[in-house]
Amino acid sequence: MRVESLELKQYRNIAQLELACPEELHLFVGPNAQGKTNILESFYVLALGKSHRTRSHKELIRFGEHRATLKAKVKKDEQLLRLEVQLSEKGKKVSRNGVEQPKLSRYIGSLPAVLFAPEDLAIVKGSPQIRRRFLDMEIGQVSPAYVHNLTQLGKLLSQRNSLLKQLAQKRVYQSELLEVLDDQLIQLSVHIWKKRYRFLDSLSEWAKKIHWAITQDKEELAVEYLPSVAISPRMEDGDLAESLRGELKRLREKELMRGTTLIGPHRDDLRLLANGLDLHTFGSQGQQRTAALSLKLAEIELIYQETGHYPILLLDDVLSELDDSRKTHLLEAIRGRVQTFVTTTGLDGIDAETLTRARIYQVRQGTIQEQG
Amino acid sequence: MYVPEPISKLIEGFMRLPGIGPKTAGRLAFFVLSMEEEDVLDLAKALVRAKRDLRTCSVCGNITDQDPCYICTDQKRDRSVICVVQDTKDLMAMERTREYNGLYHVLHGAISPIEGIGPDELKIPDLLKRLSDDTVQELILATNPNIEGEATAMYLSKLVKPFGLKVTRIAHGLPVGGDLEYADEVTLTKALEGRREI
Repeated sequence: MRVESLELKQYRNIAQLELACPEELHLFVGPNAQGKTNILESFYVLALGKSHRTRSHKELIRFGEHRATLKAKVKKDEQLLRLEVQLSEKGKKVSRNGVEQPKLSRYIGSLPAVLFAPEDLAIVKGSPQIRRRFLDMEIGQVSPAYVHNLTQLGKLLSQRNSLLKQLAQKRVYQSELLEVLDDQLIQLSVHIWKKRYRFLDSLSEWAKKIHWAITQDKEELAVEYLPSVAISPRMEDGDLAESLRGELKRLREKELMRGTTLIGPHRDDLRLLANGLDLHTFGSQGQQRTAALSLKLAEIELIYQETGHYPILLLDDVLSELDDSRKTHLLEAIRGRVQTFVTTTGLDGIDAETLTRARIYQVRQGTIQEQG
Repeated sequence: MYVPEPISKLIEGFMRLPGIGPKTAGRLAFFVLSMEEEDVLDLAKALVRAKRDLRTCSVCGNITDQDPCYICTDQKRDRSVICVVQDTKDLMAMERTREYNGLYHVLHGAISPIEGIGPDELKIPDLLKRLSDDTVQELILATNPNIEGEATAMYLSKLVKPFGLKVTRIAHGLPVGGDLEYADEVTLTKALEGRREI
């Protein structure tokens, strides 16, 4: 997958921009607050139809303007795709090869992209909720059925929690009804667990390999699933169901007291270990960042495995956080396969050989100039 | 601006209907003014009659102008099967098939603790009463295929177990006449899960 050109109009602080992307590696260099991340974000918006930084697409329209346009020409195998995202006060329109796509879900996947931004450190450092979201987003990219089951689980949980509260206050007496909702919870949980285990299996495999390379064989990275119920990856459907059923029975009183569902996929977590040490608690900032990066790079391999195409990689201000050798190894790990767009405040520490094969752009106040 | 009271009352009346805002209500009101008096009277009568003369069937919960309703009293229908639906609209959809010749039971909703709807808020006790003699042999659960409808179906199947009847759930999956390639992934996955041997 290659982006051949990018065109932006009235987008964020950029009035107009036309950018050719002939190389595999593109570096956007400049001081802070000049619009480097905006450019990177625009690739993301073209890929997924939404920004990773804001929920409101109106923020993406240049101040004082009514409409922003983003266009990209993408080469997939020998096929040329024209992608376009139009943002206006009324809403957002996405089209592929000039044909408007009424459903975003049909558009996504035209340009698979993996983004690594400073916020992604939270995958290691943050709350379990952030790790679950990471997991759900990644699996969702390749399995619509998984997204459906997750939505169903969300609805079911609010029904079940509501019933638990009513049962506790003796407003209703149907404990049989709770058993029905338990059955539904079990059914959905088994689906979700199996998908998560299968996904993590390949993710951890790839992450481990990549982490070895970036750390020059110094750290062994392991990704473990921490379920809220005593289950394990090799269990059959029936055993998964029985484990959850047993736990739900055991916790009945407690759940009634608290009025909420205490176990299930919505309470599970991930653990990242480097050489057996839990990175969440014991990792240094640099270790945590490298682990998060390894996970993201593993995602690239997974997308390739599932779709047969390498996604583009967007690295937002990550180079400055890595030491020189990790920097070199990162760029080496993706070389020759993945088209990469990088923002950085300076070129120090990037080896000369890498710089010669990269296209370098200077970004100043929303305008871009190629560095000769 | 002065608007004569009969018009403003008419506009307000239309605005109480679902999906109708001030503009549409205004258009409808002025259209009524231009209608023949006879047609307006017919419409007014129809509204009043629908409200006064219709009630829910005391047996199945269908909306009817006679109690029990025409389905429940129809002797040509198969009295050994009851199809359980959430709403009268669902009953009408089933009737349009002309393939089903049994009786119905309208629950008037689905179990949803969030909205405070439990089994007692639905016409479930009435259903159990209908099952107490031996006429009914099969119960078809045709509630919607979402969390609430599914919970209702599962709850009912547990509840009627002691009666020893055949309990079935309508299938869900691909729409008939549709092409596989146009089905969304979730529907296809469900259809695959519910596949059967031929």
